[in-house]
Amino acid sequence: MATKSAKPLRFTALHLENWRNFTFVDVKLQQRAFLVGPNAAGKSNLLDALRFLHDLVAVGGGFQETVGKRGGVSKLRSLAARRYPDVVIRVNIGSDDEPAAWTYEVSFAQDNRQRAFIKRERVTRDGVAIIDRPDDKDKGDPERLTQTYLEQINANLEFRAVNDFLKTIRYLHIVPQLVRDPDRSVGRINDPYGGDFLEQIARTTEKTQKARLHRIGDALKVAVPQLAELTLWRDETKGAPHLRRKYDHWRPQGAWQTEEQFSDGTLRLIGLLWAILDGAGPLLLEEPELSLHPEVVRFLPQMFARIQSRTGRQILTSTHSTDLLRDESIGLDEVILLRPSAEGATVATAGDRAEARTLLDSGLSMADVIVPLTRPEHAAQLSLFGG
Amino acid sequence: MAHLPVVFSAVVEGLTDEIVLRRVVESCGAALGSVYGKNGKDSLRRQLHHYNQAANFLPWIVLIDLDQDADCAPAARAIWLTAPAPKMHFRIAVRAVENWLLADRETLAAFLSISEAHIPAEPESLNNPKATLVNLARRSRRRILREEMTPRPGSGRSVGPVYISRLDSAPPSRKLRASGKVDENP
Repeated sequence: MATKSAKPLRFTALHLENWRNFTFVDVKLQQRAFLVGPNAAGKSNLLDALRFLHDLVAVGGGFQETVGKRGGVSKLRSLAARRYPDVVIRVNIGSDDEPAAWTYEVSFAQDNRQRAFIKRERVTRDGVAIIDRPDDKDKGDPERLTQTYLEQINANLEFRAVNDFLKTIRYLHIVPQLVRDPDRSVGRINDPYGGDFLEQIARTTEKTQKARLHRIGDALKVAVPQLAELTLWRDETKGAPHLRRKYDHWRPQGAWQTEEQFSDGTLRLIGLLWAILDGAGPLLLEEPELSLHPEVVRFLPQMFARIQSRTGRQILTSTHSTDLLRDESIGLDEVILLRPSAEGATVATAGDRAEARTLLDSGLSMADVIVPLTRPEHAAQLSLFGG
Repeated sequence: MAHLPVVFSAVVEGLTDEIVLRRVVESCGAALGSVYGKNGKDSLRRQLHHYNQAANFLPWIVLIDLDQDADCAPAARAIWLTAPAPKMHFRIAVRAVENWLLADRETLAAFLSISEAHIPAEPESLNNPKATLVNLARRSRRRILREEMTPRPGSGRSVGPVYISRLDSAPPSRKLRASGKVDENP
């Protein structure tokens, strides 16, 4: 019997200024959220703001590395930025009962040597500022502004919870080709594109690994009915880990296949299910519907919700899928709509659009309401490309 | 030799209808083959004549909610499908398929962990049975059911995030089990 336990922390709101293709964003985030919009509207950029915070606190991360990895401040700053060109990221972290238990804000710009420096760093707990930089020490030694307090163990003692929370963010966008051919991403650790996906599985303890693969195997049977068993084994020559599954067919023993023969859809689904079971922090997903059958996609929102009612884990996902958005329970506040404009992309929840609620009440599905709003204006012209 | 069950193809409005129809068909000793539609009522009605043509040759079931579209099922039937094909089984749920679930008060009360007394005695008189069902789930003694079946405030939706899978996991009707028509260990 499940007992009532404290809900884990999640992002409750995101505020951005001049971040990549956004000039100004202020949006509430629910436990489950779906980012929708035309291609290049900035779905991945929005998720990247959260990944940015993760990279600040990750092993081998830090402010300079995180900005540098993304090509410097000039690559991060919105091209549409005008009068106030500082890049600002602010998040509220909390739960339903206490949506702003913590807030973390960092704003930065670059100096004339094109080095990133912090213009402001602010942390509040229950509305009270714990950190508000630049402080007196920073004024005495401007060099200090090349690092956040967040990344420094000596400086983040009072808000270690924020640091710990940001570390738990996971981002996933499995590319099946990389999983099959790990040589292409040698040396990468926790590669979101799946380069070391098999290694990640191999790193878990045997008990956890078996339990998870068993659960994934069971879930996979729904999508891939021929599948009988899913295990991890190491080949004897290189010691490289491989996923292996048993296929039921007319031979009584069935046959074994490794990930090299898995279909794209199978690999993606395994990756998705593994990521959902692995960890309890916010999970950022890119188009989980890719390569999957529409009937499977239709159940993804419910699968997310089910995991969430057990673990409280936040799942933010970008999507183009009509089938996914057809789910009856996706709320107006769970759909985040991105639309490009000359002043940077705009971000709003579906609930902010007056017509959306009326249309839903009249019996239309969320997909019927939302997809027309995200369609590129001149999509039909693409057919002329054929000449 | 055991006789083979009749296999019906079906057209339904949505995922809930498929779950309920499957239970009903299987409890009659038949089987459900491919299930079409599931894109809402408007789409079903637009495509209805295609399925009706197919029902000239093979058994088909259409399950559709009456909602508030007509006063009674025969009136709706006369409008929606004037000339049903010989093997077409056109079924209308008055007002919606949730009424059928509400009608089995004993099973529903056990599944939702609520008192049978809360379940309305005459489900067909309800205007919005889905809302009634969700409101009953709100009374559940099990927190997980309350959370999963009822919508969050602010979502603007009528059902909770795991409403459909929860219904699918409901035990078979006690009445049907008692009549021996449902195999508990298939």
